[in-house]
Amino acid sequence: MAEQATNPIARDKSTPWLSLKMREAMEAWLFLGPTLAGFLIFFAGPLVAVVGYSLTEWNLLSQQSTYVGLKNYAHALGNNPDFWHVARNSAIFALGLVPANMALALALALALSRPFPGVIFFRTVFFAPVVTSAAAWAIVWKFLLQGEAGFVNQMLAYVGIDGPNWLREPDWAMVAVILTRVIKMVGLNMILYIAALQAIPRDYEAAARLEGANSWQIFTGITWPLLGPTTLVIMVITTIGSFKVFDHIYLMTAGGPENGTLVLAFYIYEQGFKFFDIGYASALAMIMFVIVMALTLVQLALRRRDT
Amino acid sequence: MKALTRLLAVSATALVLATPALAAELRVTIWTGNEAHLKMLNGFAESFKATRPDVTVKFETIPPGDYTQKLTFQLAGGNAPDLGWLMEDAAPTFAAANVLEDLAPTLNSTKDYDFADFSAPAMGLWQSGGKVWGVPFSTSPFVIFFNKDMFDKAGLEDPLALAAKGQWDMKTFQDAAKKLTAANGKFGFEFKDGQGYDTRIMHALMPPIRAYGGDVWANKQCGFDSPQSVAAVKQLHEMVFKDKSIVPPGEKGDYFSGNAAMTINQISRASLMPQAGFKWGIAPLPTGPGGESPVIGQAGIVVFAAGKQKKLAADFVAHMSTKAAVATASQFFPPARKSVLASDAFITSNNLIPPAQMKVVADAIAKGKVLPAHEKSPQILAAMKPRVDALWRADANVESALKAVCGAIQPLL
Repeated sequence: MAEQATNPIARDKSTPWLSLKMREAMEAWLFLGPTLAGFLIFFAGPLVAVVGYSLTEWNLLSQQSTYVGLKNYAHALGNNPDFWHVARNSAIFALGLVPANMALALALALALSRPFPGVIFFRTVFFAPVVTSAAAWAIVWKFLLQGEAGFVNQMLAYVGIDGPNWLREPDWAMVAVILTRVIKMVGLNMILYIAALQAIPRDYEAAARLEGANSWQIFTGITWPLLGPTTLVIMVITTIGSFKVFDHIYLMTAGGPENGTLVLAFYIYEQGFKFFDIGYASALAMIMFVIVMALTLVQLALRRRDT
Repeated sequence: MKALTRLLAVSATALVLATPALAAELRVTIWTGNEAHLKMLNGFAESFKATRPDVTVKFETIPPGDYTQKLTFQLAGGNAPDLGWLMEDAAPTFAAANVLEDLAPTLNSTKDYDFADFSAPAMGLWQSGGKVWGVPFSTSPFVIFFNKDMFDKAGLEDPLALAAKGQWDMKTFQDAAKKLTAANGKFGFEFKDGQGYDTRIMHALMPPIRAYGGDVWANKQCGFDSPQSVAAVKQLHEMVFKDKSIVPPGEKGDYFSGNAAMTINQISRASLMPQAGFKWGIAPLPTGPGGESPVIGQAGIVVFAAGKQKKLAADFVAHMSTKAAVATASQFFPPARKSVLASDAFITSNNLIPPAQMKVVADAIAKGKVLPAHEKSPQILAAMKPRVDALWRADANVESALKAVCGAIQPLL
């Protein structure tokens, strides 16, 4: 046994045709096999298939498919006002959601990372929307954001503000979907920040205070830099999530009014599953993949430069 | 002994060969889950089995909101049902994609079927070039549902009485809605299912446009910007934003729970009325400068070309649409057969709607036009939607908004 443990080319008596190294490799492949098969079948396969589909004009209903090369990409990226309008909406959604979500998550985490009576209750309150069904969340908010009769506008009227018809005016509809999405998802980022804050040794803060640093200096000089890796992770997943948002838009505005909240993921759904134009929808999906990948790489590069 | 062995072998082989026939099952997709509807449909399946003991029929309900989409996935995924219901707006798209089977040979060769009994306007969507793509099982006109209690409270004659006197027109409709709103503190009118600004745009705009003598499109030409259409939509706009008598965008009304005095819908919604808790009735759509112009929603039953038992499925379509079957179904689904439409049996078929009001339904089917459909309906509706959204602002310029609608859909027509 001692020989086997130290000699990689030693052979087991029961399987003399296998060296220990080969046997370990085989075991590793056997353990990895199911996951690898899942990855190939449910991720890599569809991804390659989408690349193939995006080069065709394929009507799902009639099942007619013709190879058209890069025509679908040219159609999207060329002089197509619909695509650029949708891309702009997605960018606005991401630019509105990501900073608001991160700032609020950090503020909540700073307030709730240290124990005080009732802290668990508050953490639960802010985390609860994350586990609430997206459909229930959207339906309740649609009800609250009705025009004159809506709860939100009635509360605003109470303090003398004439609220807009939130989900029927394009600009306000975008504000409404961003805010309701932030409230829904902020709890998740809050938990990540709380975990990161609790991992920072208390000694750092104590030492800084001994040196006479105030709370703001401690935050900017110690806490924020140490939260860097967590901030990067949060930024990447929130950005990806904001580009992929679909259910929230589908349930709250269906892309309206006046296409004011028609974002990329919903546009892809419309092309593929309402118009059955699978080729064009696949090309759009590839474009979205590239955008999200590029943003992620930029964020990683910026992080590397900072460190 | 040898003979016996041979006999056994032959019998076993015959049994094996016959087994698929014994197990023949027709799969039918529908969008109703209503127990009474299913009971009636299963009754058709039973009577079919009486003549074809080898066949069982299985009805599969898909919710109406996802129906066309899920059906398409079943067809594309190689899991085609044998036959199914199809909504009017999907019919041209499916026919153009060659996924429907021609039913003409079966219908024409079915004994006593009398295909000519189907009214020609009702068949318009379902046949072309001598081929029959489907048989309409529901040809249901839109009618006004009114809350009689609210009309009484406002001291107004109800629409049915006004229609009998020939006074139920778009002007009276607007006045009534305004007075009802003032008297009851509830909206005077609600669009179909409260969805007139979203999924039911056509159901909201089409009836008044036709009453004014316009059309949304005809002969590949957009009609939303015609003077008639503009006048009709201006009236609706005024009712929403000036009179505040129609449930506005972003608000909830709901006629069926007593929160609006009138709505537009089809008679299948009468099933909601026993629980409503108020006196109600149905009346024809208001007339306008274009005269009487009832609007009809339709659904048909079709056989899918990708199905594995097309002849058998076509036979079942014929079985479900004989005169007797259509008469039975007419209690829920207004018929397209002239003989049934003209019969007393239809007028007295609905136990929720009195015969005098069912007459409204029969008249509307006889005189009405089906909602417009197009092989690019999904694209047309998607192109319309943002431009129609722009229409539903208090400060909208109706004429230019409707011009924008035409600008968006004309290339698709």
